[in-house]
Amino acid sequence: MAALRTQLLQLSLPLIKSHGFTREALSRSVLYLPQAHPEPLRESAVSALFGEGDDARRTLINAWLAEGRVQMRTSPSPSMKDVLCTRLRYNEPFLNLLPEAFAVLATPSSGLHLVDPVPGLMHAADVADEACVISGDATTGTMWYPRRASLAAIYGAAELHQLTSPETAYGFLEDLLNTSSKVKRSLDEVSLFASYIGKSWAGILRSRSIL
Amino acid sequence: MLAARCARRVYVQATKRAFGTAGRVYPSKAYTDASSSGSPTAGTSGTPQDLTSEEKRVLDAALRVDQAGEVAANYIYMGQLAVLGRDRVCGPLIQEMWDQEKKHLSVMNKLQVQHNVRPTILTEVAKIAGFGLGAVTALMSKEAAMACTEAVETVIGEHYDDQLRDLNAMKTDHTSIPLLKKVIEEFRDDELEHLDAAVEHQLATCSGPCATQHNRRWRMQGRDRAV
Repeated sequence: MAALRTQLLQLSLPLIKSHGFTREALSRSVLYLPQAHPEPLRESAVSALFGEGDDARRTLINAWLAEGRVQMRTSPSPSMKDVLCTRLRYNEPFLNLLPEAFAVLATPSSGLHLVDPVPGLMHAADVADEACVISGDATTGTMWYPRRASLAAIYGAAELHQLTSPETAYGFLEDLLNTSSKVKRSLDEVSLFASYIGKSWAGILRSRSIL
Repeated sequence: MLAARCARRVYVQATKRAFGTAGRVYPSKAYTDASSSGSPTAGTSGTPQDLTSEEKRVLDAALRVDQAGEVAANYIYMGQLAVLGRDRVCGPLIQEMWDQEKKHLSVMNKLQVQHNVRPTILTEVAKIAGFGLGAVTALMSKEAAMACTEAVETVIGEHYDDQLRDLNAMKTDHTSIPLLKKVIEEFRDDELEHLDAAVEHQLATCSGPCATQHNRRWRMQGRDRAV
């Protein structure tokens, strides 16, 4: 059952261009099975496999986002800029569908119809994490979090920019990455200088037999 | 007092026999050597993709807690050395154990990156608490510092034993998991040697070792279950 569900989700992905992030795309996926089904899945079957109502659409959107992270590995080089640009390029054929897709993700499936930012933030965080893995980022300890948070913010901003101005999104991403690396370099220099000051004071205190 | 020390010595001898510390192999060399030659092996460069979500959660949690434990252990020894560094007996001993913990942490950092595990968000807390614990026990007395070492290494050994049991239950064929098990076995034995060193120097107070006798027995039983 789980394997069939995964297979149908994979077969639904090429149908998104023509049918959008819809239950119809999911229902028509069976037409492309190796042993093709004669007709699309019925609504009850789509609900049983992928969830009721918009939950099925969320399942499809999440599968598309997961495929986007896999596609990041086709980046021409492991540099952070190329990896994130590859992810932005994956969006291009779907730009007209993405605002609605993100709106569906941001709408909770139950309870009050308030905007839920968590799925959007998780999407940006997952892209940042995957980009770090592909680029061979070896950050450990506490720095693991700000590294990914800054990349998630950069990618999220670039993706939002891409929705309104696809042509300039890559330049915008590059600018943000350059600014981020300048800020990091400055902070590293301040930290190094502070450590020298600390060591100097420790040496002074030791020479006076206080330590 | 004498009886307790005799019991400790018997325990240490039995442990040496059980772990066979002589002629040991060091699986962690796969990580330390790879860093020097720049040629990672299959077991050091990938993570299993066929784990169930529960197995992945267990692996992540194990590596996260191991890394946090090694961070804390490093800072405990740093705190102890800050106070007892000039002691002719304790200073070199603590330095030697700290050097080994540095290697453990370096390997754990590589394992965290290899398996793409989120590090604990409490890393800084582990550093501050570890340094504080090491410095305060060293300020109390050398005996308290060694009792602290005994207690900490006992707990870390227990964790490693539990993890070996969990890793043994994994059904993946990926080469990184058998290597990880060997690395954890090596580190557990290292931690036991630290415990051994604290006892051998006869610096632990009677109450510390006596209190940990139960834990040791428990750990020995746990190791038997894991292996």
